[in-house]
Amino acid sequence: MNENICLVDRDFGKAVRTATQCHIELKNAYGPDDIRHLSYEKDIGDPGEYPFTRGLYPEMYRNRLWLKSFIVSYSTPEETNKAIKEYIANGMTDIRMNSDLPTQCGIDPDHPAAWNSMMCGGVASYALYTYERMLEGLPLEDVVYELAHMGISNFIYIYGLFVAMMEKKGLNLNNLHGNGINDPIRAKLVYECPDLPTNIARRVWLDHIEYAVRHTPRWKACVPNGVDPQQRGMDVPRELGGCIAVAITMIEDLRKRGISIDDFGPMVFSLDAESDFFETICKFRAARKLWARIAKERLGARTKRAMQLKIGIRTSGLSLTWQKPLNNAARVALQILSCVLGGVNSLDASSIDEAFGLPSLDARVFNLDTQHIVTHEANVPLVADPLGGSYYVEWLTSKIERETEKYLEEVDARGGIFACLESGWLHGLMEANRLRIQKEKEEGKRLIVGVNAFRSQGPEGPINQAIQNCSYKVPTVRQREELVAEVKRFKANRDRRAVMQAVRRIYQATRSGENITRPIIDAVKVGVTIGETVGTIRSAYGVPYDPFGQVEAPEFFREAIKE
Amino acid sequence: MNRAKKIRILLAKVGCDIHERGPLTLMWAFRNAGMEVIYTGRYATPESVAKTAVYEDVDLIALSDHTGSMPIIAESVLNALRKIGADRIPIMAGGLILPEDIPVLEKMGVRGNYGPGTPVEAIIDEIRQIAGVKSVEA
Repeated sequence: MNENICLVDRDFGKAVRTATQCHIELKNAYGPDDIRHLSYEKDIGDPGEYPFTRGLYPEMYRNRLWLKSFIVSYSTPEETNKAIKEYIANGMTDIRMNSDLPTQCGIDPDHPAAWNSMMCGGVASYALYTYERMLEGLPLEDVVYELAHMGISNFIYIYGLFVAMMEKKGLNLNNLHGNGINDPIRAKLVYECPDLPTNIARRVWLDHIEYAVRHTPRWKACVPNGVDPQQRGMDVPRELGGCIAVAITMIEDLRKRGISIDDFGPMVFSLDAESDFFETICKFRAARKLWARIAKERLGARTKRAMQLKIGIRTSGLSLTWQKPLNNAARVALQILSCVLGGVNSLDASSIDEAFGLPSLDARVFNLDTQHIVTHEANVPLVADPLGGSYYVEWLTSKIERETEKYLEEVDARGGIFACLESGWLHGLMEANRLRIQKEKEEGKRLIVGVNAFRSQGPEGPINQAIQNCSYKVPTVRQREELVAEVKRFKANRDRRAVMQAVRRIYQATRSGENITRPIIDAVKVGVTIGETVGTIRSAYGVPYDPFGQVEAPEFFREAIKE
Repeated sequence: MNRAKKIRILLAKVGCDIHERGPLTLMWAFRNAGMEVIYTGRYATPESVAKTAVYEDVDLIALSDHTGSMPIIAESVLNALRKIGADRIPIMAGGLILPEDIPVLEKMGVRGNYGPGTPVEAIIDEIRQIAGVKSVEA
């Protein structure tokens, strides 16, 4: 080819798909015939009215904007504390917590399996004082805290830390506000989390939810999560259907403990905002509508609150690219817009540098500013459900609703969501769809800008390079050694008798079938760690103390449970 | 290629890292390239990786990690291999690898050290080279 001649291809960059990201085939236009099966009162309704397709509140965002949240969790409690305060100063209104990966797996930093990922992804929050340091100077009452951890053991334990901190300060537990994902299906399906086997996790899950409903009514102790299954390969109907199936199982299990759906109150789902703009918007509309009807008709909800589904968002981390990372700004902005058009209640949007590690302050401020621009300059939130009535949007909402219902019927026929997990059926679906997407990318049927299309010619430019180089540094060997020493010191300096007593109580409660939440709250107050809590629960069920099968139960523990 | 024995790879994730899309994508690509892949799954220990590599008689170990801790992980696997006298098995690494970690890993003898976005073909070429070099030495 002669390089001096520049040819212009009129069709360069032409669309290659006719279906949504999740393979819903689309026509080129929609009209009245496509939504003739829908009635405004029954299927759509005004904002604030059943079935809440158009949003939960009549005033929507005029009354209250969505919560702006991030997972803030760096290597040390001090760094994390400083970062939380900086983000609040820039408009963060909701604090999402996470822990380092070993904590999420239910082990302490002095466990040999912790070494390789210690302080990565967050603070090693193995004991009460780590949280006290991390939240120093921050109010515990009437601030929304969210827990985004993995293992089911983490939610009951960290909830225990919050309750313990509040009780120590004499604060009112009615004012503990927030939620934890605490989804036992996600923990196994997506992460194969080693902390607890599924049957034990299911009991711990329910103990925690039951206790929270009775003692901290504004703490939502389970938020079925669709984000991670979707990122791992599930399509939209299965993301949404999975959340609904978990919610149904929870409400039915709680009923056996004397708690009704009306006691539980509004449901919250954690959903994914993917790059497919309209599919994402319609998913949120369909989710509210489906839940309202299932809550009312299947689960017998009588109160309006119990028919309402709040939607918390994590935008797609998977959509972010390492190549030409500046493009991530456009991706995240569109995902944010789809959330606002879809009427979500809280939004944790990814940052443009997140393909490289934990996000930088700069990138996150940009992210908050994007949301401020959507609000104040683009004026998007002034009108509720602005796309309501669009032929396409109503058709796609209805289509997602129907596909999700079909999936739910299949889950029911297979014995419910736990049976579908145990049989491996969910894994099979997820993996098949992941491979389908991977093949489409290889074959050019799904284009990712900068990755399999529109690649940069030569090295990245200075802006992209700057984004690539701002990743957060992981802890050094020395920092890890110091943490291990700190944990050992901490464990050696506790009141041994009190620790033994507390561990014995958790052990006995686990064995007797009593709710284990209160014993855990009491235990964290005397310094019982996450690893010890997990080990105790496991031992009470007769499974090995250590989830990794590498270490023996500590001597004090064996002594504590002797008699 | 006219080889009697297929290249055998142990794809491993050591520690508590949960990110699995990378190794799953590679597993698929390696198989399509005619290789045999054994995947440890997540939460493997350095000792179990070393033992599996010996039992399965692999040509190389490919480590994947997205926590940014690859030098620490590679060192722990190398130590475990040395302990059982199997440090002849070559190691390559990929995932979230920081630029400053690359010379450290190279000094340990770890090959590849690929960041996100590396074309799969480049990784496969390197594997063929490592496996080929090994069979010449043997």
